[in-house]
Amino acid sequence: MTQATPPTPPKHIVLYADDDVDDLMLVQEAFADYATNVEVVTATSGIEALSYLENLSPLDSTPCLIILDVNMPRLNGKETLKEIRSRERFEDTPVTLFTTSSLPLDRAFAERYKAHFITKPIDITQMSVIADLFVEHCTDEIKKNIQRRLSK
Amino acid sequence: MRLAEFLRLKTTEQVQLLYKNAVYSGKRRERTTIIVLYQLDGFYVEIFYLKYRWHIRHLHAFESVDLLEPYLPFVDLEELIND
Repeated sequence: MTQATPPTPPKHIVLYADDDVDDLMLVQEAFADYATNVEVVTATSGIEALSYLENLSPLDSTPCLIILDVNMPRLNGKETLKEIRSRERFEDTPVTLFTTSSLPLDRAFAERYKAHFITKPIDITQMSVIADLFVEHCTDEIKKNIQRRLSK
Repeated sequence: MRLAEFLRLKTTEQVQLLYKNAVYSGKRRERTTIIVLYQLDGFYVEIFYLKYRWHIRHLHAFESVDLLEPYLPFVDLEELIND
């Protein structure tokens, strides 16, 4: 008799919107250590990110984290953040503005809309901790889940 | 900070300073090398990457605006107008 293997739990979705293809690849690479339980879904604009969120069915789980570049054409990260917060389903979803800016004004904007703020790294000193920093911004429940599965 | 003071710093100090205080101003490619431009006070710094955002090959700091010319094709006019 063969033992049935337990079903693999669905991966947590991290939605990342950035018009810079190099940064898209970089963040996907940064999440490589979490690949067994995190899937990074990418969008190249704020509009595309919103479209992804709007097309989620009520049965689909919401992303565990949304990462938004600030400088994107058509609908920038700040405008996208406002749009996300105006939708009841996503008003508490963790969002991080991931930007080249380190301006206090941009940081304050993120705080006003219950978002975190990370300046894009310049070198390995900041880069090596970036995925950990992102995961840190997920809810406590998801953080535990990700860590537990990583430690298996 | 003045350019001469910046040039006296160690590379690690220069990078930290750019990370905390500089304004991202553009990005370009030269063959396979990605080069990112930052503005800090009255001068500019180009970061030449071996691996983008991971390993820096070298920094190039300058004051002359003539050296900004390679970045002009990448300036988003719509963004400038809207700002």
